[in-house]
Amino acid sequence: MKALDITNLEKRYPTGVEALRGVSLEVAEGELFGLLGPNGAGKSTLIHCTTGLAQPTGGSIEIFGNDAIDNYAEARQAVGLAPQEANIDWFLTVEETLDYHAGYFGMPRRERRERTRELLETFSLTEKRDERTRTLSGGMKRRLILARAMMHRPRLLILDEPTAGVDVELRLELWHYVQKINQEGTTILLTTHYLEEAEQLCDRIAFIAEGQIVAEGTSDTLAERFEVPNLEDAYLALVGRKELSRSHIELDPEVAS
Amino acid sequence: MSAAQIRFATLWRREVNRFMKIKKQTLGAPLLETFLYISVFGAALGSRIDKLHGIDYVVFVIPGLIMMAFSTNAFTNNSSSILQQKFQGAIQDQLSSPASPAELLLAFSLGGFMRGLIVAVLTFIASALLVDLPVDHVLVLIPSLFLVGFFFSQLGVLIGVRAEQFDDVAFAQTFVLTPLIFLGGVFYSAALLPQPYETLTHFNPIYYMINLVRYGFVGYTEVSIPLSLLALTAATAAIFLINLRLFSKGYRLRA
Repeated sequence: MKALDITNLEKRYPTGVEALRGVSLEVAEGELFGLLGPNGAGKSTLIHCTTGLAQPTGGSIEIFGNDAIDNYAEARQAVGLAPQEANIDWFLTVEETLDYHAGYFGMPRRERRERTRELLETFSLTEKRDERTRTLSGGMKRRLILARAMMHRPRLLILDEPTAGVDVELRLELWHYVQKINQEGTTILLTTHYLEEAEQLCDRIAFIAEGQIVAEGTSDTLAERFEVPNLEDAYLALVGRKELSRSHIELDPEVAS
Repeated sequence: MSAAQIRFATLWRREVNRFMKIKKQTLGAPLLETFLYISVFGAALGSRIDKLHGIDYVVFVIPGLIMMAFSTNAFTNNSSSILQQKFQGAIQDQLSSPASPAELLLAFSLGGFMRGLIVAVLTFIASALLVDLPVDHVLVLIPSLFLVGFFFSQLGVLIGVRAEQFDDVAFAQTFVLTPLIFLGGVFYSAALLPQPYETLTHFNPIYYMINLVRYGFVGYTEVSIPLSLLALTAATAAIFLINLRLFSKGYRLRA
């Protein structure tokens, strides 16, 4: 079954900017799919259209067979979003943030309590449970956003640059967690600027540029398609910056000696 | 409870929780403000003013103050809450949930309605302790207050959704709402105004709301009660439908 089926998706903002120009994409159930592209390529717009935060101007999106517009309730019920920005409510405590989110998705109180306890533990937030969210550090906010996205046990988890600006420890922790829940059956759509992250975690990867999917496949097939040795060089070829390839970096003989 | 009931209860609980967390600002300040109005206009000035239409001045003023407390708190709460959440991006959590536009709109509306209701009830209790405040027409009073509260809740939502900065909310409150309330006859009887001010007052919708609430309490009105109730019901329904359309279209909520 397809977890996500996007067909000819278009998004034109009222300003006239065409953020998405006929994007088609399929993510199979259970897959860990990477979406890579430079800033402004359309990654976040695609995610916003999928989660109802933006309204497509053309095309269609189906989430586990439910149209994201016509059957938005069923479609959104299946999706968990950890956005790029720390969009958390300053008035709420950490625990309330999780509890309310689960409530928005119709989870009964007892189940909310158990799930909150479990995720606070998983994301090392138990000691912070009564703190207002605005007092949290950047890393803690990132943990909270991920925990919130997981609260209602979504079948499709969308992670929009989840490791941007986090320390190495948390990044590795998140990688382990993402792999674990993927193995348990959660489909994951991941956007990232860290190519080694995509290479290590993702089953398949799509490159998006100027609102269009320009290439799609495994890390190896993408490298083959761009006739380069690895994903990073394939990405550099995509953005027209081949000269930045690490293979072109020559050690300064004086420094080297 | 069904999933939809849990969802709606949570959306509403979040709105109530927000203002309950800052009680000093959201409940304490309006109560103090109303108490000061009663003290200054009722006790201090009132002692120098004869009865208005056979009613003690302080008793004449209090229904308008209760209506003012209900309306301004319902309005302020919703406009601020929505704008603040838009600013923080936190509203995305509700918008990306399975909640329908009607559920979201009602939950946001009822947050402000609850705050207005609490302030209005506390003002009524405090007033009843200070003066002998009658309730002559409870069957007019309750629907009138309900409609006034719901109308201003909806107005707060509308302004909050449209607003792009805090200045937009402040403008609506300071330059539109407050003058209309003050010139709507909270502190005086429009029947005693010279022309053209008396006639002009009849173009102020708040004037009819104040008269409805005043009639509910003290039995005095300068307007037709059935017509005013009908007009207020129509206005409340109209603003609700406008908001529902905005929420359905995602106007300034969804990109």
